[in-house]
Parts: sequence; C-alpha cells; structure tokens
Amino acid sequence: MKLSRVVLVALVSLGISACTKKEDKKFANYVREALKTNIKGLDPVVSGDLYSSTVMAQIFGTLTQYSYLERPTKVVPYQADGMPQISKDGLTYTFKIKKGVLFHDDACFSNGKGRELEAEDFIYSFKRLADPAWQSDGFWIFEDKIKGFTAWRNEASKAGKADYSKPVPGLEAVDKHTLKISLEKPYPQLLYVLTMSPAMVVPRECVEKYGKDFQNHPVGTGPYKFQSWTRNSQIVLERHPGYMEEYYPTVGEPQDQANGLLADAGKRLPLNDGVIFTEIVEDQPRWLSFRKGEFDYLEIPKDYFDGAVVSDDLTAEYKNAGVSLSKTVGTDITFVSFNMDDPVVGGLGGKGKYLRQALSTAYNTEETIKKFYNGRAVSAQGPIPPGLGGYDPNRVNPFKQHNIEKAKELLKKAGYTEATAPEIHIDLPNGVTYRQFGEYYQQLFNTIGVKAKVQLHTWPEFQDKHKKRKSQVFSMAWGADYPDAENFLQLFYGKNASPGPNNSNFNHPEFNKLFEKAAVMQDGPARNAIYNKMVDIVIDETPWIFGVHRKDYYLTHGWFKNYKRNGIILNYSKYYRVDQEAKDKLKKKL
Amino acid sequence: MLTYIARRILYVIPILFGVTLITFVLFNLVGGNPVYQKLGKHGSEAEIQLLSKELGLDRPLHEQYLFFLKQCVTLDFGRSWSSNQKITDMLSNGIGASLSLTVPAFTISVLLSILIALGAAFFRGTIIDRGLVVFCLAGMSISMLVYIIFFQYMFSFRLGVFPITGYDPSLAGRWTYLILPMIIWIVVSLGSDILLYRTIMLDEIFQDYVRTARAKGLSEKVVMLKHVLKNAMIPIITNIVLEIPFLYTGSLLLEAFFGIPGLGGMTVQALYNSDFPVIKAMTFIGSMLYVFFNLVSDVAYAIVDPRIKLE
Amino acid sequence: MTVATATMNQISTQTQMPKSLWADAISRIKRDKLALTCGAIIIFYALLALLASLGLIAADYAQTNPQGFSPPSPDHWFGTDMFGRDVFMRTVHGTRIALSIGLVTSLIAIPIGVCLGAIAGYFGGKVDDLIVWFYTTVDSIPDLLKIIALSYVMGRGILSVYVAIGFTTWVGLCRLIRAEFMKHKSREYVLAANALGASHTRRMFVHILPNVFHIILINFSLRFIIGIKTEVILSYLGLGVEPGQPSWGIMIDDAKQELAQGVWWQLAAATGAMFFIVLSFNIFADALRDALDPKLRNK
Repeated sequence: MKLSRVVLVALVSLGISACTKKEDKKFANYVREALKTNIKGLDPVVSGDLYSSTVMAQIFGTLTQYSYLERPTKVVPYQADGMPQISKDGLTYTFKIKKGVLFHDDACFSNGKGRELEAEDFIYSFKRLADPAWQSDGFWIFEDKIKGFTAWRNEASKAGKADYSKPVPGLEAVDKHTLKISLEKPYPQLLYVLTMSPAMVVPRECVEKYGKDFQNHPVGTGPYKFQSWTRNSQIVLERHPGYMEEYYPTVGEPQDQANGLLADAGKRLPLNDGVIFTEIVEDQPRWLSFRKGEFDYLEIPKDYFDGAVVSDDLTAEYKNAGVSLSKTVGTDITFVSFNMDDPVVGGLGGKGKYLRQALSTAYNTEETIKKFYNGRAVSAQGPIPPGLGGYDPNRVNPFKQHNIEKAKELLKKAGYTEATAPEIHIDLPNGVTYRQFGEYYQQLFNTIGVKAKVQLHTWPEFQDKHKKRKSQVFSMAWGADYPDAENFLQLFYGKNASPGPNNSNFNHPEFNKLFEKAAVMQDGPARNAIYNKMVDIVIDETPWIFGVHRKDYYLTHGWFKNYKRNGIILNYSKYYRVDQEAKDKLKKKL
Repeated sequence: MLTYIARRILYVIPILFGVTLITFVLFNLVGGNPVYQKLGKHGSEAEIQLLSKELGLDRPLHEQYLFFLKQCVTLDFGRSWSSNQKITDMLSNGIGASLSLTVPAFTISVLLSILIALGAAFFRGTIIDRGLVVFCLAGMSISMLVYIIFFQYMFSFRLGVFPITGYDPSLAGRWTYLILPMIIWIVVSLGSDILLYRTIMLDEIFQDYVRTARAKGLSEKVVMLKHVLKNAMIPIITNIVLEIPFLYTGSLLLEAFFGIPGLGGMTVQALYNSDFPVIKAMTFIGSMLYVFFNLVSDVAYAIVDPRIKLE
Repeated sequence: MTVATATMNQISTQTQMPKSLWADAISRIKRDKLALTCGAIIIFYALLALLASLGLIAADYAQTNPQGFSPPSPDHWFGTDMFGRDVFMRTVHGTRIALSIGLVTSLIAIPIGVCLGAIAGYFGGKVDDLIVWFYTTVDSIPDLLKIIALSYVMGRGILSVYVAIGFTTWVGLCRLIRAEFMKHKSREYVLAANALGASHTRRMFVHILPNVFHIILINFSLRFIIGIKTEVILSYLGLGVEPGQPSWGIMIDDAKQELAQGVWWQLAAATGAMFFIVLSFNIFADALRDALDPKLRNK
C-alpha cells in the first residue's frame, strides 16, 4: 500500500515534469493566460461572450482600439489610418484604412498567403451580422444606427437568405482603402462599438471556404495567428509574421513611468512570440497552476483570497516569490431588479415605489461584500460604475444605507404592516453561490417581514422568464460594453424594455426624454449633467436594488512585464513581455 | 433460433420509436428558450422572432418531431444551440475521455468484485461473509457526491498525490488525471457489485449439480472454481453486458468534478444551458445502446439456454 | 353445492398461506438483532422527522447569526453554516425532507408499478404487449435524464423532486409484479374465484395481490434509499428543494466549497445523518427480503 503510493507519486510527478520541460523550450517567450470558462468558438459574429471575445481580440483586427495606458480609456485608431473624418452633423464617418495590413496565411487564400486588408472586407464582415444564416447576437451595435442597415437585414430575413451583392446605403467603399459609414442619427458610441468583437474584420474567402466551421479556423489581421485548439483545454496562438507596423505607446498616466510600464515605449508590437490560453473552469487547479508559474497572471479566486491578501496587501510569501498585486474597480454592477409591470413591486410612484425603497433599505451591502466578495467590492450608489464619465463619487443613495427601522417606515408608507407584508418571488440562475444569495435575500427581506420565495433556473430558463416579463424580482449583473455611462442608462430606457435589455421594464416619461436628448450628444459636462438627472430619477424610483461594483485583484509573476488591466481593453496580449531569463530563475523557486 | 433473434431485433424498432417520442415531448414542450441565450444581453424583439424562425421553433410540433426523427435515423443531430459546434464532433471529441475513465475503472471493479464475491460465497454463513455484507451495505450508504468531495479534498488538495482537476488529451498524459476518478468509481461500485455477484453465486451453490460434485468428493475449492464460478458466469456476464451502455455517458458527476472533457461533463453543461439538441442526442444514443446491449444479452442467453426463446 | 364448498375451502386455505408466511417472517426478523436495531433507528428518524415538522424540536433552524462558520461547540453541537445557522438543527430538519421523499415517491411509483404490472401479467396478450413496450421504453432512457426532464416540466422545488422520482422509478416493481401475476393467474385459487364469478378487478386485487404483497413491501423500503440518494444528486444539479429549506443534499452541496476553507462540520453532519438511515434501510430491507422471500432461505 505504502510502496504503491510512492511509486504512484513518482510516476505522476515524472509525467508532469517531463511534459512541462519540453513545452517550456518550445514556447519560450509565449504569454500564458488562464481562462475561467470554456471557449465555444472563435467567429466574431457567432461568439459574443467575454472570454471568446478576449481570445478573438488577439486574432482579429478592428478599425479602432483603446489606448493601452491612458485613463480614462481613449479611442485611438487601430487598423484605420488615423481617426475618421466626421461630418459636421455627426452623420458621416470616413475611415482611411492602413495600407499593407495582411491577413494571416491560410489555405483559403489563392496562394496560401494572406492578402491585404481592404475597405470591402469591413463591409462584408458587418453584413454578416445581419445575415440570418449566422444568427448573430452582435447586430445591436449597428441596429437602427447605420443608414438602411436594419432594412437590409429585415429584407434578408424575409427572403431567408442574405444577398451580399446588395449594398447597404450607409456602408460604402469609396476606394480600396476608404470606408464611409453614414448614420441615421448621431451615434456618439460608434467609435467605441467599432472596437468590439462584432466589428472585427474577417476575410470573405475563408468564411466561404470553412462555412460554419470558420469558428474553428479563425483567420484575421491581428497580431497573432491561430495555431491550435484542444477543445475544452488549450488554445495556442503564434505571432503573425506579417503583422502591421504598430508600436508600444509612449504616453500613459503619470505613475506609469515609475511602474516600468513605459520601459518598452516605441518598440514594435507584439513584444512576445505567442499566447497560450488554458481553459480551467474550476478555481482550485487554476490557482495552484498559477502558483507553480504555469500562468503569467491570474485573478485571485474567491476561496484563496484570504491566503494571499491580508489587509489589502500581498503577503510576504508571495512578495518574496516576485509576485505583485494589481487592483482595479471593475466597470460593472450587480443588482436586484424589480419588474415594473408587476402589480405588487412595480408601478411608478405610489405603493410600489415605497415597497421597493423599503426592500432596498433593508439590503445590507456591507455584509454582502464581506460574505460573498471577501471585501472585494464597493457598494453601488447608482447605476453608473466608477471609471465611466458621469460617475459621481460623492453620490449617496438614501435607500442604499442599511437601516431596518427606516425600511419598516417605508413599508408602512407603502401601506403594509410587518404582518401584512406581501410575499415576493425571486428568480435566480443555477449555482451554489446564487442559491446562497437567494437564502441571503430571504433573510434580509425577512427582517422587515417580507417573505421571499426563491427559484433557481438554468440560464436560458432564467432569461426566458424575465424577457417575457414573467419574473417579479430577479438578480443579475451588467458589465460595460464600452466606457460610456449610456451603456448602463439604456437599461432603464422605456423603448429598450423586455425582451430588450431593459428587463425591469422601467418606463419613465421624463427619463425617456432625457435619454433621447443625451443619446445624440457628444461626451462632455453638458451630457454628464443630464446623466446625473437621469440617475436621480432612477434612484428615487428604485427599479433596482443597486448591489456592488466588483473589484478585480490580479496577481502577476515577476517575469511578466507591461501588465495594466482594464476590463474593456481586450487586445492586450501584444503589449505583454515575458522576461524569459527572469522566468527561468524565478520559476525554479516556486 | 434465427426467428427468435429476428423477432427480437424487430422488437427494437417500436422501443426506439417510443424513446424518440418521450424525448421529444419532454424536451421540446418544456424548458427555457434558447433564443435569449444565443442573442446575449442586447437582443431585440425582431431578432428574437428571426432566430426562433431560424431554429425552427415556430414550426408546428409534428414537423419538429419529424425533423427530430430524421435526425435520429441519420444520427446527425445538427449543431449545439449553445456552442454552435456540430454535435457529432462534440460526441467524437468527448467519447475518448469518457471511455478512458470508465473502461478501466469498470473492468477493475468487475474483476475485483467477482473475486471478493467468490470469497464471500466460499465463507458463506460465517462471520467473514456477514461482516463483508454489512461492510458493502455501509459503503453503499454514502452518497457518491460525498466520496468525490472527500477524496478530491484529501488526496488532491491536502496530500497533493493527484492533480485536482484537469485533463491532458495526449494518450500518455491523461492517466495522471484519471487515476483518482477511477479509484472513486471503483470504491462506489464495489459494494453493490459484490452483493449482486455473491447472490448469483449463492444461487448456484444450492443447485443439485454442485451437491453432486461435492458428493463425488471434490474439494470445496475445486467446486467453487470449476463449477460455481463457471455457471455463475452466465448471469454475471449478462449483468455486465447490461451495464456497458452506461460507460458511454461516463459518470456525470465524476467528469464534472474532475474537469474531464467527456460526454458526462458535456451532458451536465448541456443541461445547464438547456442545450436541447445535445441532450436529445445524448438521450437517444444512450437509449439506443441500452436497447442494443439488452438485445445482445437476450440473444446470448437464448443461445446458452434454448428454453428461453419459448417464452 | 358440494363443489362450491370444496372450492371455498380451497380458497380459504390458499389465502391463509401468506398469513403464515407473514407470521414466519415476523418471528425471523424478531430473532435478527441487527435488523431490529436498524428498525429502531428508522423509527427514531421517523419520530425526529415528525417532531420537526410539528415544530416541536429544532424550531430555530432558520435563526441566523452575523458570525458565520463557528466550529462545533456546546452551544452548537455541529457548528454553524455561513449564515450562522445551527447545523445540528438543519440536519434534524433534513430528516423530514429525506424521509418524505421516500414516502411520497412511493405513493406515486407503487400504485403505477402495481397497477400496470398487475394488468399486464393478468390479462396478457395485446394489453401485456402494450405495457411491456411502454415500460421498456421508459426504462431505456437514462434515469438521470428522465428525472431532470421531469424536474423541468414541474418547475423547481420539493414537489417536482417528488414527482420526478416517483414517475421514473416504477419500472422495476412493475416487472416483478407482472411476473408474479403471470404465475398466479393460473393457480387454482384464482381459477376457483373465477368459477365463483369474481370480477377481474376482484380477482386481481383481492385474491392475487395479497400473495405478492411482500414484493411491494421490500420495494417500499428500498425506495427510501433511492429517494435520499437521488435528492443529493438533484441538489448538486440545482434541481433540489427551494432555497431556504434545509436538506442534506443542499448541505452537502454547500460543503464542497467550504471544505477548502477548513469547514468540515456541515459535510460531516449531513453525511453522518444520511449514512445511518440509509444503512439501516439497507440492512432492514435485506432482512425483510430474507424473511419474506422463501426462495432465498438458508443462504
């Protein structure tokens, strides 16, 4: 028994070390990153989730991108040659496309060599979003915005087939390297959405060759060429030898210089030879692998947080191993949403409003942050997360201060006593943490006598329920698509009600008017003032109990350079540098 | 004999037909709408209607059923709703991992339990036999989930003998990850297997031919190995054949916990995503294997014992 | 007249038989100390479940405390969970759900299994073909997928757990009953009842059923084991009882994350509670089978 265990351990460790040594040599100078979830596919029009988008952002190119170091994040040209010319009325954007940008080599090109990127490629790629054959979830970025595009799509869906030879009025290739986009109304977020995965450019010949399996053979113009994908396990990308001329940024925030983030300023990108993404769903193995140096950086999983971070600083054990900690407040928000159509918890003003305010006041954010986030979150006072224009750090939401007495008063105002308080139904997605959240909501609301029934659902069932307005109360989170508070405020716009993204079905005439006014305004103090008024309305009506903005705690190993996290910037791999010499030395100590 | 086999094969058709019917009713009439999941967080009314049409959800039910029937016959189940990958690809990607876990684990547990059952039958009626039975029953009284949680915690997390989860698709590398799940499989199935095989052997021990053999003066060991085991092998093998179809689904819980990219883990994911095409494919193929191995076991039985076919 | 009396006598002796079987079985079980102990444990659990549902014991099971995860102490015998709730009381309340699953699913599955099995075995022919086709089909579909599918139909919660398990686990019993009815229908006592003009229903349920009742009883005790174990798996898959209700499955599901943080008491309490009751049912059912199934005697 004892002997066999020794032999077993020996065999097991032999197998592991033999594998890693071989790999280390072959993949020197590769960035190694862990993914929390399994990747479904790598086609920009099909795979819209965050993790697929992250991998795709290294493979595909877009017209615009975010500046890597500057904060707040700024849009800069990517495969467009300079910023577009914008007409005075804000309705026409003329992009020059960089010359000499090459697709990755692939068998789908006539001689196997990647050809040059052209304006028509963007038009083709955008049209795919509207092609019923692709069932894309990305069309919203252009819907009702680009001139005639929605009509083009409706026609295609009526015919059951998209005719790519038919032009879209708002998309025009003036010449090989000029793309003109015409809008139906001003769209201040256009330059943001053009950085997103649905706006990535793909070569027509490859899509036609691989068909639906393009998601398994992605070909783009990005810094990395797709190499291999072991399903549910590992994706390997290697440097694209024909990658366009691009250089590490020379400007950043004041502290970037001191943090060594500008050491590579002006160097040709990418700064590494490839990227390996490893898909590990479970926290424990992901964490242990990071500690062994298998990944360059990692978000600390919840259950291991207390072992690594004490009073907001990294413990000595990790510091001595050359690990450093970086903290950012994420641009997201968790919330408990009420269905405003519901006779009990819904309705503008009146009874429903006081009930919602009462429940919000009974919500104990501090304890929630302690119990469910290891303190890694800040209490949300309104719908806009920090770091976005329009966020007011001094705002205090009167219904977000835990106070049972006040909550009971509000309940009385709503016309209930503790004994006659209504029973509410909360819907949540499946999972241990959600179930525990559900039990916690029950306890919190019970402090003012409101009984809650909690139901768990599979994700599609859960969505089905609130998209069809059948949920009374449900809990969710929203992450920013782009750095504009509009992305959060649109969640309360009446015309976006279910099945659109406004699932609380909040429909407030004054709010709607303000939203429509702000929607066509460019960023600036005037727009922020309107945003502020909108937030006032939302706080008063409380269609949501605002939860928290989560803080990201990331660890990086000593050999890993140029790491600066922001949840919106996805095409980051090209900036990273692996100090292979330091890695060989440090990894031995782990 | 041939007519019996032919009749038995023909009988498979109505069963499989019934399976498609039940599967269709359960999964097409209920459950969440995949459209919302596919459209993500920005879906609009128009997009929803469009996609429902694309997925054939707006067609009348009998048409949807005929379509499913066609899929079952051609064994081409289309694409997953959640990942858009071909289901046949997903199946062929997952089956290797599942079988790598279940075939060795199953083989070892069957051999081990036959051996132990033989011992129990040999010592029947003694304190050893009685103790073994209670021990088996005790082992069966703990949930599989607890075995998994505890073993994973103890051997992977605390002692670090095995990796916690993960998988290496290379043929040589995968075993590192499979040993612990295999051990759990064996521990979990040993109890009930031993009791079953013990009962089968005891059935044989009291047959007349065994008494005759003993009367001839053969030693108890020879009787056990030459006569009892030999004859007990028929029901034992039938039982094993009937368990084979379950190897294909692997073990849902083991795969989910140990991150093994097999069919069991895939099924759990499909359930969480209401990914009906995948669930329907798994259900149908699972049932098909069950029906097939049932047939094999019946036919084998009929060949061994020709009286059966009269039934 | 004489013929009739003769048959009457025969019927009474035939129906007497199971009575002696029962008497014999009871005396056998009485002699089996282990089985008796297990029976006592089962009764003890049933009592706990009853008292808990009447709110006479462990009534404070939902009482929270800001200080979560305190280890076992004189105040909290089995420690507390993440919300500071007493694990011992939750375990006791879990008994209620565990036993109710066995009981309610039996009320669903046993009537289905017995009726279909009886009809198929008794009538034979086309009816038999149809029922055999039906249960073979149901049986061909992997168990877990059936249970999960039904849970979807019913929505979540304890009710759907009952229905899902109840409607999927009757096939085994149905098979046994069918086989027994096929054997019994041509026995003399049934033929005699026929001669006396007893209806089909009467012959099936008044004459034959008492003779196969021991099969039902054994099945009944085994069902508790299936019920308790399935609840754990369903809870893991998120298909268990409503959040807020204490069940062993939910406690074990919680524990899988807690163990890494050194919180072992919740897992230990639920597993221990489950172990003793399931083991008792296992041993008791085994003893019952030995006592009631003459074929297995002397083994």
